[in-house]
Amino acid sequence: MRYSLPQPYQDLSHTADLGVTVEGASAEEALSRLVLALGAVLAGSGTLEVAREETLAVPVRGGLAHGAVDLLRELLYRFATERVIPCACEVLRLDAEALEARIGFGRWDPARHADGADVKAVTYHAARLERAGGAWHGQALFDV
Amino acid sequence: MKLVRVSDQIWEIPREGRMKVPGRVYSDGMPAPDDPALQQVANVAHLPGIVRWSLAMPDIHWGYGFPIGGVAAVDAEEGAISPGGVGYDINCGVRVLTTALSAEEIRPRIHDVTAQLYRDIPTGVGASRAIPRLSAGELEAVLSEGARWAVKRGFAASSDDASRCEEGGRLAGADPAEVSERAHARGADQVGTLGSGNHFLEVDRVAEVYDPEAAEIFGLHPGSVAIQIHSGSRGLGYQVCDEALAELTPSMGRYGEDYARLPDPQLACAPIGSDAGRRYLGAMQAAANFAWANRQVMTGLAVRALCHALRLSEGDLRARLLYDVCHNIAKFEEHEVDGRRRRLLVHRKGATRAFGPGDPRVPEAYRAVGQPVLIPGDMGRYSYVLAGTARAMQETFGSSCHGAGRLLSRHAALRLARGRSIGAELKARGIEVIARARKTLGEEMSEAYKDVARVVAVMAAAGISRMVARLEPMGVIKG
Repeated sequence: MRYSLPQPYQDLSHTADLGVTVEGASAEEALSRLVLALGAVLAGSGTLEVAREETLAVPVRGGLAHGAVDLLRELLYRFATERVIPCACEVLRLDAEALEARIGFGRWDPARHADGADVKAVTYHAARLERAGGAWHGQALFDV
Repeated sequence: MKLVRVSDQIWEIPREGRMKVPGRVYSDGMPAPDDPALQQVANVAHLPGIVRWSLAMPDIHWGYGFPIGGVAAVDAEEGAISPGGVGYDINCGVRVLTTALSAEEIRPRIHDVTAQLYRDIPTGVGASRAIPRLSAGELEAVLSEGARWAVKRGFAASSDDASRCEEGGRLAGADPAEVSERAHARGADQVGTLGSGNHFLEVDRVAEVYDPEAAEIFGLHPGSVAIQIHSGSRGLGYQVCDEALAELTPSMGRYGEDYARLPDPQLACAPIGSDAGRRYLGAMQAAANFAWANRQVMTGLAVRALCHALRLSEGDLRARLLYDVCHNIAKFEEHEVDGRRRRLLVHRKGATRAFGPGDPRVPEAYRAVGQPVLIPGDMGRYSYVLAGTARAMQETFGSSCHGAGRLLSRHAALRLARGRSIGAELKARGIEVIARARKTLGEEMSEAYKDVARVVAVMAAAGISRMVARLEPMGVIKG
């Protein structure tokens, strides 16, 4: 299933940095919402339209949370170098070995996205993508 | 967390379990025992090869693996190098320029000056092209030469700026070949850009002098204008750290039990002499050189902006670099430990080198009084210039605090700022602030930060650094 911005997420209170938590009925939904939470953080209150699509694949080393962070790192690199922000996500594969997602990117606009965060890095700290209490939970902390 | 009082300013975390050394926390009063940063101090004490103490400065707060405000020295041959002990913003640091201007004469023009600086120095998300995008060869030269690269190209207050930088503005062990293509891609058009968040460029006045002799030597005259620049290695440095953490975090077990059993995976590290350790060291030092070049280019741009706004020649402006310090770095240094000279790798993450009088590594002009130690505060209050001491050399591997440290999260700060115009509040107090992002002023307001005066007071009371002067902002640009 393909998810697009906006998707629900919660801010994690953290003194120095930014964190997001998401929930989903499935691992794929939680991961998609984590991807789009990063997009929302980068875009601020500005809107986005899909300008290009790309399928990204990362190995899942050290667990699903680690794999989720590695996907987010790829997305942040594209933001840093191409000035594109993830605004749509469809998880194509998510298992113990690999993660593959089709990402729709929108173009960053300095005026429209002026209140977006300047994220330096996606950290592995407190990263989650796991099932608990009947739902899937995703969490990531960004260094800003 | 068990804390044992050593003095009014020093608390010790006793060595226990697999800690190799005790923790030692410099603090304004007793630290809160449940502060998670203290657990990080204890965790750092497990690092292979760590010497004497896991140190924490009074601006300590929680970080990744290492607390921000943490200092750890490890044996240069047998110890571990930890990217978390440096931070994502490799060689984030600060420099201060002195000028011949008086605050009184430029105050009526402060808006013009600040606006010109804002126009000439790219800030904020996407900031780029302060200078034309660097070719691969040019970027390699930046990574090798550091501040000197920029001075050679005319970005300077004076031709000897590099000699007034920590390490001469360049780490000789840099290996540009270890900086990835991705790091190159992130950094190639960012030399000379300020960044965002707590990065800033300020036009300050020298508000008070505490040590007239040192202030005279540093060129800080009461009522004179100084420029502060706080920035780091931008996307290039972030990418270097990011890649190192990705490589080291899952692989520590291969280096033996000491590494496998580190209490926090965020303390990802490797033996200094390992392939991974050497790769990170080479790349980190190259990124450090990028940061020095970055601050040096902004120095040149700031000098030009001031001259343009005030219609002065550079000769009239007489801008001079006082000093440039790193806040996030790991460097090989020699220190005396238990009566003998040892070569150590000193990690300073949110901490500043503070070498004392007589040390040959301090520029000759300052050697009699000690190394300038530059401590930025928040944009609404003050910053400090201190001097390093002999006691710092004995007790903290020549290290001091680095700044104020955040009190509030960005969201909490924005909630507090709701309905207020922080810019107007500052302007009413005579501080002109221009920021690229609307929410920066809320996120960075004074209430979001600890009072840096209290932080430096601890260092002074402990004899680690000596107060020289206080700077107060008149004009500020931020991302």
